[in-house]
Amino acid sequence: MAGQSDHSLSIFSAAEVEFIAEDEMIEIVPNIRMDALNLLCGDFGPFLPQIPCKVPLWLAVALKKRGKCSIRTPDWMSVEKLTQVLEAERESPREFQPLPFHYVEISRLLLDHAHDDIPEVYMVRSLIEDIRNVRFHKVESGLETISGRTYAVKLKNLSAMEVNLVRPFMVRVLQAFDKHDSPETVQQADTSASKRPQVVDRGLRRDLRPR
Amino acid sequence: MGRLLKLREAHKTDAPATCSVVWAHDGSHLATSCASDTEVLIHDLSAPPPGRSGSAAGSSPVVLRHHKEGVTAISLGPTAGPLASGSFDHSVKLYSFPGGTFQGNVTRFTLPIKSLAFNKSGSLLAAAGDDDGIKLISTIDLTISRVLKGHRGPVTGLSFDPKHDYLASIDSFGTVIYWELSTGKQLHTLKSIAPNYNSDSSVLNTLSWRPDGEMLAVPGLRNDVVMYDRDTGEKLFNLRGDHEKSVCSFCWSPNGKYLATSGLDKQVLIWDVDLKQDIERQKFEERVCGLSWKPVGNALAVIDVMGRFGIWDNPVPASMKSPTEGVVFNEPNVLFEDEDEDEVLGKGISCYSGSLDDTIEKGSGDFSPISRKRVKKRGPLFDEGEEEVLQEIDSRKRRRESENKRGDGEIRERGARMQDAFQAGSTPPQEGKRRFLCYTLLGCVTSLENDGFSHVEVDFHDTGRGPRVPSMTDYFGFTMAALNESGCVLANPCKGEKNMSTLMYRPFGSWANNSEWSMRFESEEVKVVALGKNWVAAVTSLNFLRIFTESGLQMHILSVNGPVVAAAGSGDLLAVVTHASDCLSSGEQILEIKVFNINEATQTISGRLPLTPYSHLTWLGFSEDGRLGSFDSKGNLRVYSDQFGGSWLPVFSVEKARKSEDENYWIVGFNATKLFCIVCKSPESYPSVMPKPVLTILEFSSPLASSDLGADEVENEFMMTNLQLSEIRKKIKDMEAFGLDVTTLDDEAFSLEVKLDRCILKLIASCCHSDRLVRATELARLLNTQKSLKGAITIVTASKLPILQEKFSCILEERMLDDSKTPEPIPIVRSNRKASNTIQPPVRLSPMMERTPDLNNRTPNTIKPQIKSSPASETLKLVKPHSSIRENLAQGEEVSKDRELGKLEKLATFVKVKGNVTSEVAGKEGSSSATENAKPELKIPINPFAKVKKVT
Repeated sequence: MAGQSDHSLSIFSAAEVEFIAEDEMIEIVPNIRMDALNLLCGDFGPFLPQIPCKVPLWLAVALKKRGKCSIRTPDWMSVEKLTQVLEAERESPREFQPLPFHYVEISRLLLDHAHDDIPEVYMVRSLIEDIRNVRFHKVESGLETISGRTYAVKLKNLSAMEVNLVRPFMVRVLQAFDKHDSPETVQQADTSASKRPQVVDRGLRRDLRPR
Repeated sequence: MGRLLKLREAHKTDAPATCSVVWAHDGSHLATSCASDTEVLIHDLSAPPPGRSGSAAGSSPVVLRHHKEGVTAISLGPTAGPLASGSFDHSVKLYSFPGGTFQGNVTRFTLPIKSLAFNKSGSLLAAAGDDDGIKLISTIDLTISRVLKGHRGPVTGLSFDPKHDYLASIDSFGTVIYWELSTGKQLHTLKSIAPNYNSDSSVLNTLSWRPDGEMLAVPGLRNDVVMYDRDTGEKLFNLRGDHEKSVCSFCWSPNGKYLATSGLDKQVLIWDVDLKQDIERQKFEERVCGLSWKPVGNALAVIDVMGRFGIWDNPVPASMKSPTEGVVFNEPNVLFEDEDEDEVLGKGISCYSGSLDDTIEKGSGDFSPISRKRVKKRGPLFDEGEEEVLQEIDSRKRRRESENKRGDGEIRERGARMQDAFQAGSTPPQEGKRRFLCYTLLGCVTSLENDGFSHVEVDFHDTGRGPRVPSMTDYFGFTMAALNESGCVLANPCKGEKNMSTLMYRPFGSWANNSEWSMRFESEEVKVVALGKNWVAAVTSLNFLRIFTESGLQMHILSVNGPVVAAAGSGDLLAVVTHASDCLSSGEQILEIKVFNINEATQTISGRLPLTPYSHLTWLGFSEDGRLGSFDSKGNLRVYSDQFGGSWLPVFSVEKARKSEDENYWIVGFNATKLFCIVCKSPESYPSVMPKPVLTILEFSSPLASSDLGADEVENEFMMTNLQLSEIRKKIKDMEAFGLDVTTLDDEAFSLEVKLDRCILKLIASCCHSDRLVRATELARLLNTQKSLKGAITIVTASKLPILQEKFSCILEERMLDDSKTPEPIPIVRSNRKASNTIQPPVRLSPMMERTPDLNNRTPNTIKPQIKSSPASETLKLVKPHSSIRENLAQGEEVSKDRELGKLEKLATFVKVKGNVTSEVAGKEGSSSATENAKPELKIPINPFAKVKKVT
């Protein structure tokens, strides 16, 4: 239909979303002494051994790969917090718990590159997996409930990765609903197909229906 | 009171026996027991209107016949909590209350039980009797959590501190013991403070905490009740009055204001504790052995030795405060307090046994109600409950500690002794855990004891640069270490004859093999070690300071003045702190510090080391740039400064920096403006090796008095920057004396000056706000650059303070005059040239100028250069800010630059001046000093011309 032919809706690949997430700030504890880095995105450092400082995730990962720092796990990535979030997610089927916008990507990057800095890493990994599954399931089941009268869906606390997954579909669906529902389209379609006057009437009647 | 309270028989007894009474939390039920009766009775008071004296219980009471022998003690838990009874049959049983359903046997003793007490939350039940040991039983899973042994006779009274820190117990000899609940230790043992009833088992000693927990009431030896302090166990005061014989039982009113006491003289007295005065009394036929205040309302339940009980309405006269008024605790607690007291009273003599169901054994799960409940709870709740209790204990303890820290330091420090030697940056040994021997900004030395020997590891924080050091096995048991880039030194104290004190040095990088060395000390013990550039120092128990070279050559042996406390080394400098004398009578220590330059064999600093009163030294060390600092147990960092002929400046206080009560700061080092420390969550006061501790940076803050400016932060910044600046200026001076290059330092000093100026400007602004004009002027004088001075003028102009504006202009002008005088070698021509610029307006504003124009007119040649030259240099400063300090610091260099610049600017300036000055003059016409403007106005257009002519 109309929405499907719209190619202007771009979809990020997971890697692209991750790339965006790499600009998030994270705290590291360097084990080297290094002067401040003056980068396009800002000045970071100076780095002193054992003194924590905040850097973008990409820099943290780069330093970590070279064994020059340890990454401090963000608060929300503690087993305690994640357990709470998971419970809350399970308890409220219609709401999403507040997590960092890029939680999927950040946790993925940290689990991949800094697993030795995360306490109880296996637990964290499985908790995040669970949370992700629960939330994706919620999104999916939410999509099922979208019906013909929906023009907008409010999804609070949805994360980047989740949005990215459903955005194209959702937007197209909503646009389609909107399109089919608006009298002009109906009119246009009708006028182009057959010029029967009754159809025009029907369109107008629809327009008058209270929403 | 002549009126006799009518008592009602509850328990049949032939001979006098100790009876107890407990009031339910809501006042609707009353439980009684008698030592000669196997039954526990629960009377329902709600059926008939309660409170009619003597007719307390209308309906027939619930009878609990579970004990085989007389019930000696009963106790009621917090709200809806269980009722516990202890008996001569050695068992403690639990019942639901007020229903009276049997819930189970709590514990068994080998001898009769004499006393029971629940804690405030109901999680712990204490039981004691003729057995040697008080059992603390967790009511959640009915396990014995602790047995407190210490009494030599039958324990007859128990009372939990309402704040849950302590348990107090009394035995029949009259000895009172305070137990600390968290550790189970005896805190205070007060011997023979209560009557000795060991020969007379019909009377049982008792004791009771006041509901607010601040004091403990104990029967005294002189027919009185004595109050003891909660924490110290010291006697506070006594209640002495009309009792003709010893007091045998008592009970606090729910609010702790009144105390009901009953004596062997068959009287019951009501006391106002605050006034220490008895306010009411009643005589009874028999000795009253049990008392209980009604938790809600003004009534007292009494029971006498014949098992007859009654309710005394309104024991406190209506004219006085109600005994429940101002109850600080929530309801259950209040109630609990009462019970506490009552149970304490409960005890007795046996009569006959012969009850049913003691067949029920603890192990068998068939005593249904309790087992069901308990089993269900056992899993998760057990932990929770315990944890809760422990947490509570913990938090109380912590609070108390912090209180101690703040308030009654004296009590704690009264016994202060001279502190032992310590190694800065080390942590105490912990069983099975790695500990720090030394932790510095550079790295750490850690040790883990394992089967008689230890593993010592050296780690550098900077893994990129520090050398990798293989871990080593240590057979000596090193406890002291010091570390720097080139090596580490380790030492152990002597442990008996076999294990002599040893000092070992490990270089990290050496071109020769086997360059490690060790020294052994006979009949001497290494106390502290320090390390510097190419030297190792150790101070020993013989007060010798031994200095070795890096290769192990014994270079110097000095005697230090007293027992050593700490030592620190950096570069060539070694600081040694020793005791100068015994503590002052107030408990303050007297420490002495000496700083040696090892390479030059000189002593650079010698004097007393200041400490906060009642504190001890916890850290001593050098910063990276070689400044000496000390940190004491009260959390104050002091840094040595050359100001005032060498003095210690307090630059940081934990009290101010602390964000939450739960944090302890373990210092690691400091630099010019910041303190590096590890934040430890209470109760830990030092970090553990794993996980790796992370440093926290805290800004210095002077202990400033709170001023009326309301700009504490800026004032602090001002102080600190000033301090830094003075340090750096001193350094520049020193370096210049050696003829070294000081450009980098200059730059640093300049940026500091700018920072300081910014700070001062902020202060001036806040001074203007709070109308402190004199202070503002003073601040303005402190400004370093003329540019900032102009900024200050802008500020005061904006805040509409013309007086200040004038003053500041004066200062600016003086400054300009001074500046013009100082660069004397500068040719007049040069200054004239540039004299042109926009500086004139402020000059003209100043009233000082009044005479200058005159002079100008009279002797133009001499004066002109002076006035003109200052604007000249000013122009330069505006153009190139660095020149201002440079001028002061390295004038020669700058002069040539100035000239060059001057030439370049000359033309442009001139052109500008021509246009600007006139317009500016026009603008200023309206200002306050308009009258004086006339002359300078004339002068200005003329002078530039003159100069330009000269130049060209």
